[in-house]
Amino acid sequence: MTSMRNHTRGAVLVTGVATLSLIVAGCSGGGGGSAASTQTKGVTITVALAIEPPPRAALDAFTKSTGITVKWTNVDWDSLQTKISAAATAKTYFADATDVDWSRVGQLGKLDWFYPMENYVDTKAMAADMPQLNSFTSNSHVVGIPYDASFMVTTVNKALFAKAGITTLPTTMDAYTKDLQQIKAKGVVQYPLNIPFAAAEGLSTYWYQTTAAFGGTILDGKGKPQFATPDSAGYKAAQWMTDALKTGLVPPGNINVSDSQGQQTLMAKGSVASTFSDYSGNVGSLYDLPASSSVVNQVTYLPTPGVNGAGPNLSNPDGIGIPRQAKYPAAAAKFIEWFTTAQNQSDFAGASGPDKVMPGFFIPSRMTGLSELTSKGKLIEGAQLGNLLKGSAPVFPEGAPAWYPQFSHAVYTNLHAAATGSMSVADAVKAIADTATKLSNGS
Amino acid sequence: MSFSTRRRVDLLPYALVTPLTLFIVGLALVPAGYTIVASFFRVQELNPPTTFSGLDNFRRLFGDEAVRSSMGNTALYVLVGVTLSTVLAIGMAVALQHRFAGRSILIAVLILPWALPGVVEGIVWSSIWDSNTGLLNSLLSSVHLIDHYQVFLGQNQLLTILAIELVQVWQITPLSVLLVLAALQNIPGDLYEAAKLDGCSSWSVFRWVTLPLARPGITIAMVQAVIVTLNVFDQPYVLNGAASTGASLTMQTYFISFQNLDFGEGYALSLLITLVTLLVSFGVFKLVYRPVEF
Repeated sequence: MTSMRNHTRGAVLVTGVATLSLIVAGCSGGGGGSAASTQTKGVTITVALAIEPPPRAALDAFTKSTGITVKWTNVDWDSLQTKISAAATAKTYFADATDVDWSRVGQLGKLDWFYPMENYVDTKAMAADMPQLNSFTSNSHVVGIPYDASFMVTTVNKALFAKAGITTLPTTMDAYTKDLQQIKAKGVVQYPLNIPFAAAEGLSTYWYQTTAAFGGTILDGKGKPQFATPDSAGYKAAQWMTDALKTGLVPPGNINVSDSQGQQTLMAKGSVASTFSDYSGNVGSLYDLPASSSVVNQVTYLPTPGVNGAGPNLSNPDGIGIPRQAKYPAAAAKFIEWFTTAQNQSDFAGASGPDKVMPGFFIPSRMTGLSELTSKGKLIEGAQLGNLLKGSAPVFPEGAPAWYPQFSHAVYTNLHAAATGSMSVADAVKAIADTATKLSNGS
Repeated sequence: MSFSTRRRVDLLPYALVTPLTLFIVGLALVPAGYTIVASFFRVQELNPPTTFSGLDNFRRLFGDEAVRSSMGNTALYVLVGVTLSTVLAIGMAVALQHRFAGRSILIAVLILPWALPGVVEGIVWSSIWDSNTGLLNSLLSSVHLIDHYQVFLGQNQLLTILAIELVQVWQITPLSVLLVLAALQNIPGDLYEAAKLDGCSSWSVFRWVTLPLARPGITIAMVQAVIVTLNVFDQPYVLNGAASTGASLTMQTYFISFQNLDFGEGYALSLLITLVTLLVSFGVFKLVYRPVEF
């Protein structure tokens, strides 16, 4: 009897402890009530980005010099955006430093989900060396610091162009289109142009770049659409893209091809001759890698063909910022400062040998980092990329609107529908313009 | 003394279920209750403050063309998915009902797709459906069934939904097979022997013995298929992006909540999906389930 009583007491005790643990665990995760610490020594910060971490030795060196230990979390980009929104809405901590995508700067700025970076680092000094920093400014506050210098650029397969008898690469949209038609007519490849028509962000970005090439912008400073009429650059860009599909310049299967998929399975395999809006860095990181490409040394960057000459290259950079619920914002700022130094940027991109390379990191966001990389001959077509980067422009000169994700959704779903033929280009452009007008009016 | 001992023993069951109860209340019932209440509020991160809005979230949902289109898509996913997975599950369970060499290995292999995450399956199948370099196009072309590559996803709505749902059927059928197989294992062998002695054909045995007695298992299999297909997200999102040809209701919940940051409308849509799931599951239960006693 005594033994049974002891067992019962033990069981009740165990379940009681388990219950208490559950309550404690349940209560400790949320609330976000803990105040941020200014401590920078002897703390561990969590950095959540959609990229592999820097080499262990580099992080260890950072810890040694600052006393800050970095716990790196690699989360895929889409999940990361959801986590940022969910954590900020619930006012819950999830990382001390995380991704700030250029397209969400307006939204993040309005929602005040991130600390202003100018309170922690000298953003004015950084701006002189980081041409894309202005893409991260919202309401005069810097929401994040660009840590790479991605921008849109045209790539062409020189060998396929030459095979079609094209020896001078095009500088205007008209010449570019004629060259593509010539490549097709001569049977060099059946479909010479890659446009990713899948209903995803890559299609929106492609359209923005093509609109810029046609000499226009997407939205004005108040968020009003600048592409609604047939004579506007955005309308012409949408028409040009869908015509390219319908006239057989683009593979019919591209209806469901995403940007990276098209680059990997079409451009890198020599199935197409050009990608009008490609990502800077792809020549060195994809097209010239024998393991992933059959067009090694054939693809080159081309100054974006425009209406009367080279058009602009639109910025598409990745940034890093400090969420309001960060436990150690001052320590996170120290990390960001270190992470974006010119030396580290060029090291991560391969300037000092493979041991210091950060996987998946292509182009430094600092011009001095890019210069070092180029001068050491470590960046394929670095001089060309440097020139293009200097002339890169933000997609939205006045800053991305707070409602950008909703607008972009309208862009890629309607352009996709126009490509499938389920709606006309006019209707697609009207639907996108109506969405922009409605959102900019605050409804 | 004996009174005190009895009281302690009586407390034990409550103590044992308390952690689980707290777990369910904290992680399921409280969020569900919050969702129900919040769906009647305007909760827009970009346009604070949060205010009571009555049925406005629901009105806006039904006025949203993308949501209406997704309702149709989701209905098709459910119809195709539940029908196909149930038919396949019954067929495969009957085939696996009798012992044969390698049966256990076959069942172990069969369960693999069910264990894979939906996103992984979407990626695997995208290399099959791909219109430029896909396996299916290559196969059909090599046997001269097509003269040029076909576009399976994104162009035609019905074909898109069918192709996407096939991927989900591939995922959910293994569990359905096991559920139906478990029901078949309970059927006494003498019933089959009696039917055989009465001269029943294989079809008659299946129609009048197997099928009626497997109804409880078939019901559970169909209900799980209803729940999973009504909440399909990974496969259409990975295979077809946000295109209206395949967007599901749960995808719209994601877009509304995390792209538009309109959580009130997102809560309302989540609530609607839950209610429809309950209603359809109840309908299936009433239609298919019959108590079985041996």
